[in-house]
Amino acid sequence: MALANPLLLLGGLLVAVPIVLHLIMRRKPRQFEFPALRLVESRHETNQRQLRLRHLLLLALRVAAIGLLALALARPTVRLSGAMGKQKDPVAAVMVFDASPRMDYRHQNRSRLEVAQEMALSILAGLPPESQIAVLDTRRQPGAFQVDRGAAKDRIRRLTTLANSQTLVETLDDAARLLATSELAQREVYVFTDLARPAWPDGSAARLRQRLDDLKAVGLYLIDVGVEEPANTALGELRLSEQVLSSTSSLAIETELFHRGPRAERSVELYLLGPELAPEKRAQATAELEEGRPRAIEFRLGSMEAGTHRGYVEIVGADGLAADDKRFFTVEVTPAWRVLLVAPHPADRYALFLAEALAPAVFRRTGQARFDCRVIAVDRLAAEPLESYGAICLLDPPALDPAAWQRLADFVADGGGLAVFLGRNAQQAASFNHATAQEVLAARLLRQARRPDGDLYLAPDAFDHPLLKSFAGLSGTVPWEAFPVFRYWQLEEPGEGVDVVVRYNDGRPAILERPLGRGRAVTVTTPVSDFPDRTAWNLLPVGDSWPFVILANDMMSYLVGASGRRLNYFAGQPALLQLDPQDDYRAYVLSLLEAPDAVDVRLTPDLKEKLLVITSTDQVGNYRVRAGGSGSGVDRGFSVNLAHEKTNLDRAGEDDLKRVFGEHPYQLARDRDQLQIKVAEGRAGRDLFPILIVMVALLLAAEHVVANRFYRGQ
Amino acid sequence: MSVERYLKPEVIRQIKRLDLRAQFIVKGFLHGLHASPFHGFSVEFSEHRKYTPGDDPKDIDWLIYAKTDKYYVKKFEAETNITGYLVMDLSRSMGYTYRQELTKFEYAVCLAAALCYLMIQQQDPVGLLTFDEKIRNSLAPKSRRRHLADVLSILSKLEPRGKTDVAASLVQISAMLRHASLIMIFSDLLADPEPVLQALHLLRHGGHDVIVFHILDEAETRFPFDGMVELEEPETRQRLQLDAGNFRRDYLAELEAFRERYRRECFQSRIDYVPLDTSMQFDKALTEYLASRRARY
Repeated sequence: MALANPLLLLGGLLVAVPIVLHLIMRRKPRQFEFPALRLVESRHETNQRQLRLRHLLLLALRVAAIGLLALALARPTVRLSGAMGKQKDPVAAVMVFDASPRMDYRHQNRSRLEVAQEMALSILAGLPPESQIAVLDTRRQPGAFQVDRGAAKDRIRRLTTLANSQTLVETLDDAARLLATSELAQREVYVFTDLARPAWPDGSAARLRQRLDDLKAVGLYLIDVGVEEPANTALGELRLSEQVLSSTSSLAIETELFHRGPRAERSVELYLLGPELAPEKRAQATAELEEGRPRAIEFRLGSMEAGTHRGYVEIVGADGLAADDKRFFTVEVTPAWRVLLVAPHPADRYALFLAEALAPAVFRRTGQARFDCRVIAVDRLAAEPLESYGAICLLDPPALDPAAWQRLADFVADGGGLAVFLGRNAQQAASFNHATAQEVLAARLLRQARRPDGDLYLAPDAFDHPLLKSFAGLSGTVPWEAFPVFRYWQLEEPGEGVDVVVRYNDGRPAILERPLGRGRAVTVTTPVSDFPDRTAWNLLPVGDSWPFVILANDMMSYLVGASGRRLNYFAGQPALLQLDPQDDYRAYVLSLLEAPDAVDVRLTPDLKEKLLVITSTDQVGNYRVRAGGSGSGVDRGFSVNLAHEKTNLDRAGEDDLKRVFGEHPYQLARDRDQLQIKVAEGRAGRDLFPILIVMVALLLAAEHVVANRFYRGQ
Repeated sequence: MSVERYLKPEVIRQIKRLDLRAQFIVKGFLHGLHASPFHGFSVEFSEHRKYTPGDDPKDIDWLIYAKTDKYYVKKFEAETNITGYLVMDLSRSMGYTYRQELTKFEYAVCLAAALCYLMIQQQDPVGLLTFDEKIRNSLAPKSRRRHLADVLSILSKLEPRGKTDVAASLVQISAMLRHASLIMIFSDLLADPEPVLQALHLLRHGGHDVIVFHILDEAETRFPFDGMVELEEPETRQRLQLDAGNFRRDYLAELEAFRERYRRECFQSRIDYVPLDTSMQFDKALTEYLASRRARY
C-alpha cells in the first residue's frame, strides 16, 4: 500500500480526542427524584452492563471514524498486481498467446486467435513509449524482446495455431524468465487464453509460481477470449486393432464422438486413400448426440492388400472447432507371417495346440489365418532354411548342438523372433546351458520343479509389455488359476538385459525375454505341447483355454515384430519407422499428404539399426516416406493426430487458476474496457479514498444513531 | 358543564378548600351513577330528604308531593353502620410527583376527603389514622356532620415527610382497633412487600374489611424518562445511573410483577386492592369503596 499524502496520517492522532473526552469529560446524566427506586434496583445490573457496552461502542465508532478519515485523507492506494509506478513509465511487457488448435474455435465468424490478435494490437498501441515488448506463443522456442513496436505488431499478425503446442503454464514460465532479464521496474504479462482447462495444468505450476515470486512485482493479466458456452462435436482418438496386420485379417477402428451443445445428429465417414492418394469412402456411421454422453463408433475394414494403407475418419459437416473433426490413421498390411514350429516326433502331435491357437484349421481353410504355420520335426531343423520365417517356436526341444543354437541366435539377431518352450526333453541341461544356447535363452536351467497339487499358475501383474497387451483391459478377470502348471524348469538368476514378462503365482519366472540384435527371444519355462494325461506338465492349452490362445497370438505378433511397431503418433512425438532388413537406401523423402505444397523433408536413416527417426511431426495428417523411386522403391508412412485432450473446451474455473498461480495476484479481463481499468489499477494501484470515505460516512451515521438513542430527550 | 369533570385531578387541584374538593368529587361521582348509592343499603325508614337527580324516582314519596308540591324521597337507614378508618401514609415518597397536578399524597387526601364525606353522608362513623414509621395522628370515628370538618382540617394540614414503615404501622393499627371496621389504606407501598402483606393479613384476620388504595405517581407507572438519567430515592438518598429508554420495558415488567403480587395476595385474603396513579380520575377509587360496601350487605 502506498500513500499520496503520508503527512496527513498524523491526523490519526486525533483519535485521542474522543478517548480523552470519554475518560475525563463524561457527559453528566440528568438527575431525577424517583421514589420507586426499589423497582429499578433489581434489574439495574444488566442495564449497567449494556450502558457500559454502549459507551464503548460509541467510543469505538468515534475513534474509528476519525482514524479512517485521517487514512482516507492520506489517499492510500493498494497494489493489486504489478509494480506500483506512474501510468506513463515504460514497461517490460510480454504478450503470451495460447496457440493451441483450440484457439481456432470460431464464434461469431471469428476465431479465438483473431480476437486475441485484435486485443493484443490495441494493448500494444496503449503501452507507454520506450516499453520493451515480447510476443510469445506456446510453441517450444526461446523468447526474446522484439526490436521495436513494429516488429511486435508484425509478430502478432503472423501468429497461427499449431498442433504441437506446449501448455500456457510452460510458456508463462518462459515469459517470466524473459522478464527477469529486463531492467525496467514495471513488468507486465498479458496472457491471451480461451481459458480452457487443458491450457492450465497444475503439474508444472510450482516452478512458475517460484519464478513469479522471484520477480516479485509482475502485473499478470489474463485476457479471456474464450466462449462461455462453446458448441462442438469432436472425434476421440482412433484405436486400431492392429497397426501392422496380415493381409488375411481385418482391421477394426474404434473411436468416440464427444458432443457439447444442443442435441444433434452427426455422421462420421471413414476414408481410405487409394493408390493415387485419392480418398475413397469406405464406411459411414450416424449417431444421435447429446452433451456429456460420448457415443462409441466402430468401423471394420476387411482384408487389405499388402502395403501401407492410409486413411482418415471425419465428421460430416462443419462446427465451431475443425481441428478435432478429423483423425488420421496408417496401417501396414503384410502377407500372413510365416511361423516355424519345431517339435519332437511326432511333430504334428506335439505342435497341435500351438498351431491351432495361431492358425485354426477353419481359418486356414478359408485363408483367414493371421499366421502361416509350418511344423517340422526337430531333426529337420538343420536342413530348414530360416530366412523366410518371421518367428520360430521350439516346442519342448531336446538337446541341440551348438551349431543349431548358433543358427537360431543369428536368426534372432537379424530381426527374427524365437520362442523356446522348455519341457521334459530338456533333460540334458548342459546343452541348454552351453554358451551358444545361452545367447538366446533367458538364463541357465537349474532344475525341474514339481507342483503336483495344481496350485501353481501364471500370474501376470504388469500389462505394459506388448506380449500381454490384450490382457491389459481384462486384468483380474482372466481365470489363470483354471490352468494349473504341475512342472516347470527353474532357472538361475537371469542376467543383465533379460526381462521377466510373466511370473508364476509363487513369484518364479514363467516367461522371459532376451533382446538380441534386432530380434527377440522368449523363453517359456513350461511346455505347451503336453496332452492332458497324468504326466502333463500343465493344462495351459487344454479345455476352454482362451487365455492361452490370446497369449500365443500376442506372443507371435510380438515375435514377428507386428505388435512393437507403431505407425500412429501424436503431434510432437518423434516417429520411429522400422525399415525392412533388405532396405539400404541412403536417403528418404518425407511429405505431408495434407499439405501437398509444403517442401519435402530429406531424411537419413540409421542403416545399422535399420531405423528412420522423424522428429518433424508438428502438423497433423498422414505422412508419406519414400525412397528409391515410384516403381520398386519404398512407400511407407505414418499418421500424426492431435491428442483428444488438447481440444477439450472445458472452461478452467477460478479454482484451476488458483492452483496454477497460488497466492500470486492476477487480473482477469474479458474485454478491452475491463482490461484498461485493471491495467491502470495494476500500474498505479487502486485508490482506496472512495471506499474509505464511504466507510467514514457509515461510521458517522452509526455513531449518530447510537448517540441519539443514548441521549434521547436531552 | 358536567359535574364529572370534578373527578379529574387537574380540576380538583384548582379548588383550594378541601371540603369543597370532597364535595365536588362526591357530587361528580354520584351524578355519574345511574342509581343512588344511598338506596338499598338499609331497610329501615329514617327520614325524608329532597329529591336530587340520580335518585330513583320510585323512592319519591308521592304523599308528601301531594301535600307540599315538592319531591321528597324516602331515606332508609342501615340497621348497623360500619366504622371506617382512613389510614394515610405520611412517608416522604408520598409527596412526590413528576409532572402531575397532585402529588401522591394530595391525591390520597382528596380521595380520603371524598370518602369521608360520602361516609358521613351515610352516617357511617369515620376515623383517621396517619403513620410514617409509627402512628402519628389518630382521630376517633364519629358520624356526626361536624366530624367531617375535623377530619378534613387534619387532612389538610398533613405533610408527607420522613421515612416510613408501613408494615409496623399496620401491625400497630391492628392492635389498636377493637371492632371490625372498614380500613382504607392510602399508601404507595414502596417497601418490602413481604412484611406489608403479612400486616395486611393480620388486619384481615382481625375481622376488618381492608381496602388498599395503592397510589403511585404517573411517572412511577409509566417511567417516562429517556436517555441517561440518575435517579434518587427521596427517603434513602440512594442513587442509580441508568439508560432510561432502554430500561423502561424492564421497569414496567418489574412494576407489573410488584402490583401483581399485591393483587394476588390481596385477592386470596379478600382484601380489596385498588392500584391507582395520580393521573386517574377519582371515581375508580370511590366505586371500589362502594362496591365493597355493597358486598357487605
